[in-house]
Amino acid sequence: MRRVWLAALAALVLAGCGARDDRVEIDVQRFFGECGAVYGNLTDPAKAEGECGIVTTLINKFNAENPDVRVDVNVVAWPGYPQLSAQMAAKDPPDLVTMHQGVIADYQARGLLEPMDAILAQAGLGPADFTDAARRGVTKDGRTYGLPWDTVGGLFHVNTRLFEQAGLMRRGRPVLPQSAGELLAHARRFRERTGKPYLIQSQVNDPATHVRNLYTYLLAQDAVFFPEPKRIRLRTPEARRIIELFRTLNAERLSTTDQDNPAAIAAFIKGEGGIFPTGTWMIGAFDQEARTPGRPLYRSYAVYPYPRLWGRPAAFVDGHAWVMPTRERTPEQRRAIARLLRFMAEHNFDWSRTGHLPAVRAVVDSAAFRALPHRTEIAPLAVFGAPLPDYVQRQAPIEGTIGEELAAAVAGLKPVDRALADAERRVNELLDQTG
Amino acid sequence: VAAASARARLSPVAWAAVIIGAAIMAAPLVWTLLLSLKSNAELVQDSGRAFSAPYTLENYAAILRGSLTFRWLLNSLLVSLGTTFGVLALCSLAGYGFARLDFPFRRTLFVLVLLGLAIPEQAVILPQHQLFAELGLHNSYPGLILPGLVGSFGVFFMTQYFKAIPKDLDEAAILDGASRFTVFWKVLLPLTAPAQATLGVFTFLGSWNSYWWPLISATRGEMFTLTIGLASAQMNYAQTSGLGFLMAQAVFASIPIFVVYILFQKQIVRAMAGTAVR
Repeated sequence: MRRVWLAALAALVLAGCGARDDRVEIDVQRFFGECGAVYGNLTDPAKAEGECGIVTTLINKFNAENPDVRVDVNVVAWPGYPQLSAQMAAKDPPDLVTMHQGVIADYQARGLLEPMDAILAQAGLGPADFTDAARRGVTKDGRTYGLPWDTVGGLFHVNTRLFEQAGLMRRGRPVLPQSAGELLAHARRFRERTGKPYLIQSQVNDPATHVRNLYTYLLAQDAVFFPEPKRIRLRTPEARRIIELFRTLNAERLSTTDQDNPAAIAAFIKGEGGIFPTGTWMIGAFDQEARTPGRPLYRSYAVYPYPRLWGRPAAFVDGHAWVMPTRERTPEQRRAIARLLRFMAEHNFDWSRTGHLPAVRAVVDSAAFRALPHRTEIAPLAVFGAPLPDYVQRQAPIEGTIGEELAAAVAGLKPVDRALADAERRVNELLDQTG
Repeated sequence: VAAASARARLSPVAWAAVIIGAAIMAAPLVWTLLLSLKSNAELVQDSGRAFSAPYTLENYAAILRGSLTFRWLLNSLLVSLGTTFGVLALCSLAGYGFARLDFPFRRTLFVLVLLGLAIPEQAVILPQHQLFAELGLHNSYPGLILPGLVGSFGVFFMTQYFKAIPKDLDEAAILDGASRFTVFWKVLLPLTAPAQATLGVFTFLGSWNSYWWPLISATRGEMFTLTIGLASAQMNYAQTSGLGFLMAQAVFASIPIFVVYILFQKQIVRAMAGTAVR
């Protein structure tokens, strides 16, 4: 018996010796969900679908191609910022993290993120490699604080069958309005001929809808609505005319008014309205519907950037980026991170299959990307898409506050001027409290 | 018998009100269950399809296929059981002390404990996080269990229960030669079983459903509790393109709680009715 125990002990010791791992380890933390059960062993991103599937497969592929590096992935509940802040407070942040570009300023202003110009250069990447929209999203105080991975923005998703019925198609393309007045005229005509609302809008519990509309058309009018880092200016004629337009659409029942995001998506899929202004991320789902015989959207789907109603073509955009929290790292780890960043940039096309616009200029210009459904139409977003100014912090709570006030205004529950004044006051109070 | 006669005395109107009330309470649960049994693709088109076949278990299969699901389940069990037994031990000892022992500043200490009831978790979360960071306890079982052991309510609850037990029992036992600990362990503690069960059930439920502290303390996948793990597995647009999966997660996470409720129904009802202390 004693011999058996000794043999078992020796086996354990030997196993322990054999388990030594000389690989360089880098901790990657991301959202997008966990799908290891489906994609845990897949290394071909072309065979993966959706954000989770593609990012999981990409990291599998990197691990397979780089046997000297081990990428340890931690998947966090969306959006992951409470966890990241806690890790930073505990001085144990990961090496590389997914972050919305609109959130970067919150961490960068407190010195919690490393400027990445040097490591991107080490990876053979420079600002010129990225699209204008993507570069703007990660540049703060003239330095690059992340590897931009995509551009996410609002689009007009169009039901072309209903547009045909409304007489709003020319040479196989939907006719989108070129001014606020024309939009109202189209909407009235659409309602009259189809009996359905021109716009399907997610207006319940979805501040992003109103804020996307406001920011996009303020940018189109070249309005300076964040004149200083801690000051917003919304009591302006530019803001007023935008909100008045959407208020009129609601008042004349030219838009759905009582739907949240899932309800609005279902309504568009069921062909209950002409245009659904929502994000790039829905292209895949709607395109799938458009390819399925028997479905209301079958061969009846097109998508475009927000039309120019005032001023110049513009779009408020955000995006995802890979950022590096400030912490100590070995030179080996830095080299491994540079390789991973290079790998992610090289596979930006794979990521663009999610529906998000690629951040790498060469991918946007590539034939492969343009061959993906609807990508040619939405590609201009990568040029004229713009985030908020790089000094604006607290963008997420600001969106919530403004969205709340605008929802009340467009629903007719609050006068437009008062809603804009209240939004301005509340945001400025919030920014005053920001360190 | 009393309950049966009370049921018999209910008027038709009261019966109708009770049934309507029960239906209103059950509706969200039934809705959740039905949604969890539908494919995500169908629900994207119309969530109203939850009321008609076909139904599927694919969402539950997807949860069980998750590489870490059973690890999260184990973590939740260990943390909830650890917290529950810890709270029962500490609160019983503290309750006995406050109810039966005479020591300096007893009343002052008891008031301090009661003040703890008025301090919300959010007010101490930052220093608590810093403290655990300094101690290197994040991403560990002690890190997840220890904060849950501080329970003003439990101390108050057990103190009141011990106070309600006649002191004659202690005195009789002491006359028979029992030590203080023997009195506590062999005489009084068995009499507190109903209170222990009530406190245990509430502590277990609270710990199982806890979200905020595990979210920021357990930041490594292998240390997530079930609530955090399931949340991390969600895609960004779960409420639109993954509704069935989202609802299946809710049902899956509540199964252990449901089992606890079935097993300890009496204690929970008694605790809710405020009769456990009497």
